[in-house]
Amino acid sequence: MDWFELRYNDLSLSSEQEELKRVLRRFYEEQVPTERVRAAEPLGFDEELWMQLIGMGLTSMALPEEMGGDGAGLVDLAIVAFEHGAALAPAPLIEHVVATRLLARLDQESAIEKLTNSREEIFALALRPARPTVRQLVPAGAVSRNVLALDGDTLVVSRLESVPTLVPNQGSTPLAYWDLSSGSCSPLIEGDLARKLYAQAVSEWKLLTAAALVGLTERALAVAVEFVKTRETMGVPIGSLQGVAFPLVDVAIATTGTKNLTLKAAWYSDNEPEERPDLVLAAFVAAAKAATKGTITCQHVQGGLGFTIDADASLYFLRAKGWSVVGGDPAEDIQNVGGLLAAEAFGR
Amino acid sequence: MDFSRLPVDEKHQQLVADVRSFLAEHVTDEVREEVRRTGEWCNVEVHLALGARGWIMPMWSKERGGAGLDATGARILELELARGEAPVGTLTTRTVAPAVERFAVPDLAAEILPKVADGSVRFCLGYTEPQGGSDIASARIRASRDGEDHWIISGTKVFTSSAQVSQYVFLLSRTDPAQPKHKGLTMFLVPLDTPGIEIQPIHTYGGRRTNTVYYSDVRISDRYRLGEVNAGWSVLRGPLDEEHSVGEHGKDLTLEDSSASVWFVRALGRALEASIDWACRSILPEGGRPIDDPIIRYRLGQIAIDIEGAFVTPGPMGRVRCSDVLTHGAAELMDLVGPGSVLAQSTPDALVDGVVEYTHRLAQGSGTQGGTVEVFRTMIASQILGLPRAKYPGSRNLVT
Repeated sequence: MDWFELRYNDLSLSSEQEELKRVLRRFYEEQVPTERVRAAEPLGFDEELWMQLIGMGLTSMALPEEMGGDGAGLVDLAIVAFEHGAALAPAPLIEHVVATRLLARLDQESAIEKLTNSREEIFALALRPARPTVRQLVPAGAVSRNVLALDGDTLVVSRLESVPTLVPNQGSTPLAYWDLSSGSCSPLIEGDLARKLYAQAVSEWKLLTAAALVGLTERALAVAVEFVKTRETMGVPIGSLQGVAFPLVDVAIATTGTKNLTLKAAWYSDNEPEERPDLVLAAFVAAAKAATKGTITCQHVQGGLGFTIDADASLYFLRAKGWSVVGGDPAEDIQNVGGLLAAEAFGR
Repeated sequence: MDFSRLPVDEKHQQLVADVRSFLAEHVTDEVREEVRRTGEWCNVEVHLALGARGWIMPMWSKERGGAGLDATGARILELELARGEAPVGTLTTRTVAPAVERFAVPDLAAEILPKVADGSVRFCLGYTEPQGGSDIASARIRASRDGEDHWIISGTKVFTSSAQVSQYVFLLSRTDPAQPKHKGLTMFLVPLDTPGIEIQPIHTYGGRRTNTVYYSDVRISDRYRLGEVNAGWSVLRGPLDEEHSVGEHGKDLTLEDSSASVWFVRALGRALEASIDWACRSILPEGGRPIDDPIIRYRLGQIAIDIEGAFVTPGPMGRVRCSDVLTHGAAELMDLVGPGSVLAQSTPDALVDGVVEYTHRLAQGSGTQGGTVEVFRTMIASQILGLPRAKYPGSRNLVT
């Protein structure tokens, strides 16, 4: 890592990206109030919302144009994921987008056909390499009959007879168990390229999940800030007390920095994918930590109320871990960043 | 959004080579070792050498004593000086120059600014007072009219860094105690050789020297006043915003660091890099290298992740984050490297060139200098989160 390298440090969004953000924010605010999030529990899937997202082109925007997409990149997708996460939208957008981008890279007739003809079909990605007879929890697994997975050095699509049963979970997300025997597996591609494309898909999932977690934390913070502005103690709003305000400031600092880190990681993934493999891991780790610490702080400043199911604070708190843990222990990614640093040191 | 490498032309490539040869000549290993040993970041020789090349005010035209660099050139200069660990504490001068340009009477500006560019005039910041700490607007040091054309200044300033190598102090004084706190303040550019000024060193365990400056009936001409009487706060805001990195001043923002405090994490990055080299190359008494231990990789990785996050945290938020990351990270590296990390650089057994030891000491100033992190958290709470301000007895009115 060269912290003195002559590069731009331009985090501004283009006018199209600003517009995308504005439109999405309005859409989610109008269409996905927290009542709708609650109504979708425990599965965490609102089919009508899913159809709306398809209609808006969000599921296909990051596919190549010849496959019916708009050729959007990961920076654009990260902007979408922030808003999607902030709304706690009960729809497997990230999983589906990542899996279908992987399919699109295979450039196979069948994949193209599948993507363009049955737009309502949901795809999921098994985040851990498959091992015989070892089941794993797959995000979006409980709403999908198509799981992409890595079996040895073969990338496979596992087609299931029926949608598996939900495994009830803290984040109210559609988790289901899956293993190689869950459905019929068809090989898609083999060898190093299979491993590489699979790793890329997992990396994209981490990146976009990081973005969603930042969005979630930002919204949890906004709710907490409104609460402490009006709640009074001893004749003053509690938000004027440093003991309340400073922890919230630290949440704001963590989310602001992590949002920028996520955008930076997205930019590198789009433009110089080989250059900084550490950044996506860094963004995922930072986002998981910011969300954990942030939602704990935000529920706590709301006192006993923040601990109740009725408080929206609970929705954010429960999903902070609910979304991130399925991606693995951040400690593993932290260690991998250390390993990348060491590899670079040897190169010097 | 853009993080690509800057396009550079031949002039820029030549500039990189020029800065590197400058560093080779003026910032030798001995100079760097001296900085690490003493923590002293003011080096007049280096400052004058920078001035000779027009690199103190690099974007000023050559006629004005600058180097006529474009924004890319100025960024190259900044990064290469930082990479080369050039001791440039005296470049505080830069932050005051725009206020002098804008607010000094024309003949004073004409006299001083060419000397700023050539390095012979250096400024220090006379903000903090013994009783006031980071609340600089509570300044009590008195400036009173002495006839129409002179002022008498009396009082004490602390933490006036670089005063021992400066010619002028950019002084915040109280001219009307009857007015509310932020009013009744006036800025002066006080020549430090004026009778009645006494500079006494304050030594920090970061190594860097700072100063107490005593002003005893210091009589100066009205020509050294900057801006209107009792309008000092607005004169101060430019350099202060620069220091807090909340101002933008027409720079090419796509080239700038997200906050001015990024240098804190660059310092930590240097210590991290040295620690990684140590972890990769040393053999432990029980066999194996430190880096083979997953716990060591985890801890090094976490610091790198924190640095990356701090790098892109903007403005006052970046100020707080960079300081927190530096303070925490340096302490962590001490533990990680082990007993060898506490040994002084001069001892033969000092690990990682004493960089970690030095960084850990240096880090402790970062939470305070240029305003404590609590001041910035207070700003963020009210200005960014919109939280209600705390009402304290001294919030708005001057307490005397």
